[in-house]
Amino acid sequence: MASPPPAWSRRRAVIVHVLGAASVLAVAITVWLGLWVTPPDQHLRDEVRLVYVHPPIAWVALYLAFGLGALSSVLWLWTRTRSAAWDRLAAASMEVGTVFTALTLVTGSIWGRATWGVWWAWDARLTSTALLLVLQLGYLAVRRVPSDRDARARRSAVVALVAAVDVPIVHFSVDWWTTLHQGGTVTNPNLSPTIHGSMAWTLLLGFVAFTLLFAWLLVVRYRLVTLAEWREDTELAEALHERWAEGGPVAERRAAVPTATTATAAPGALAGARPAGPPAGS
Amino acid sequence: MGYVDAGYAVALSVLAGYGVVLWRRRRRLEAIRAKLAARRSP
Amino acid sequence: MWRDGVLVAGKDLRIELRSRVVLHQVVPVAVLMLVLFAFALGPATAPMVAAAPGLFWVAVLFTGVLAVQRSAALEGGDGGRDGLRLSGLDPAGVFLGKAAAVAVQLLVLEAVLSAGVVLFYGAHVRSPGALVVASVTGTAGLAAAGTLYGALAAGLRVRETLLPLLFLPVAAPVLVAGTKVWQSALGAAGAGSGDPWLRLLVVFAVVYLAVGVVIFGPLQEAP
Repeated sequence: MASPPPAWSRRRAVIVHVLGAASVLAVAITVWLGLWVTPPDQHLRDEVRLVYVHPPIAWVALYLAFGLGALSSVLWLWTRTRSAAWDRLAAASMEVGTVFTALTLVTGSIWGRATWGVWWAWDARLTSTALLLVLQLGYLAVRRVPSDRDARARRSAVVALVAAVDVPIVHFSVDWWTTLHQGGTVTNPNLSPTIHGSMAWTLLLGFVAFTLLFAWLLVVRYRLVTLAEWREDTELAEALHERWAEGGPVAERRAAVPTATTATAAPGALAGARPAGPPAGS
Repeated sequence: MGYVDAGYAVALSVLAGYGVVLWRRRRRLEAIRAKLAARRSP
Repeated sequence: MWRDGVLVAGKDLRIELRSRVVLHQVVPVAVLMLVLFAFALGPATAPMVAAAPGLFWVAVLFTGVLAVQRSAALEGGDGGRDGLRLSGLDPAGVFLGKAAAVAVQLLVLEAVLSAGVVLFYGAHVRSPGALVVASVTGTAGLAAAGTLYGALAAGLRVRETLLPLLFLPVAAPVLVAGTKVWQSALGAAGAGSGDPWLRLLVVFAVVYLAVGVVIFGPLQEAP
């Protein structure tokens, strides 16, 4: 049986908890400042307050999460830097990133409804983000396909790379697509209000807060990937072992001997999984 | 202010919910991990 | 690499010539799509003509998915993929060859579709040259991206649903650019110049051919 991954050291556990607390605090302060302390905008009035939430989330989704996912995928693909850690990081980053991308679309849509009066408009940013979401969903779908770990990592990394290459192309084409469009004042509203004073600080805090939140979610998700992979490897061996142990002394002795059935891994488990050895100390 | 509140509410609740789900799953797996690690050590 | 590419392209095209799957199944689907669009938009021809450039490229994208599925399925049975990998052929060449075969089939589809669009929707073509260039460059990009994803999804039971999900978002810029080129070539009102879009198509094709050449080999490495 694969040995369990080491527990978080005392120091690491403290860091993670502090990170979580700090991000929650930063987000809370941002919300407080954004909703109550900062003044309404001259043109956008109270609607401007979403600027403390939507652009930070969008930034995290595209540049931080997706960028990190693409970068770690490339690092995995390049044989010189290949390591299972990169694959796990890519998986974690892309999943958390998908949540942020979906939220970018939702907050963007709500903001659009508030300022333009429509729930959706084919403006450059919303459209590009919608496509990014589909690309990320494709990545998640590929990760779900049952296969051995290496093949899955390879496939996902390629999808991430192709998606990363596609994003700037999509960005340019959609941008031209909307700007060359005659008429349609609705489609290019000024979502960039003039930011000054307390608004600027709050916006900065917003970026910091959501970045911290992303970092915390990423660390937790990464740990989950590590633990889940370990469970994948051991679940079958363990289940068989427990089954035999139910049978009493004879069965227990049989359970202690690696048999052909434990040696052949289940379809989902890592190819070459080691057969269940004798239970420790029995 | 309705839309602004809705925007904040959605963003925060989704992120909070996601965070809670992840944290809980992690705690459950860590418990299993700890149990098996204890079993292995003599 | 080039020689291996020609070899593989020849193999794929010869299989198609003998089995005629694309000809007998995918081409009719393409024509069918035009008919379905007509049902969706007609019977007055004005909306159809206005939408014709976009409809053409949507049809290309969807039949392109079918062509790529077929190309990926060619190596499907009995370890064909392993055979290809162990044959010692340069993987970049295999990629270019398969992409070229898909491109040829796509061009045939596009010829049929263009004829169909002109015939069914009454579109008037002002500059056929631009259309040809758009078709060739757009097809090259689509074939490259499609072949790469086809190989990625090959052998998976979920290939049929996974491939469109992966391929179509990546193909979206081709749809945007191709439609714009067609709009200006058909002289649609307010279409603007198609040149920047042609350049985008070229960039797309170059980028995805390059990515495919580099990544196809590592993708195929035995697990």
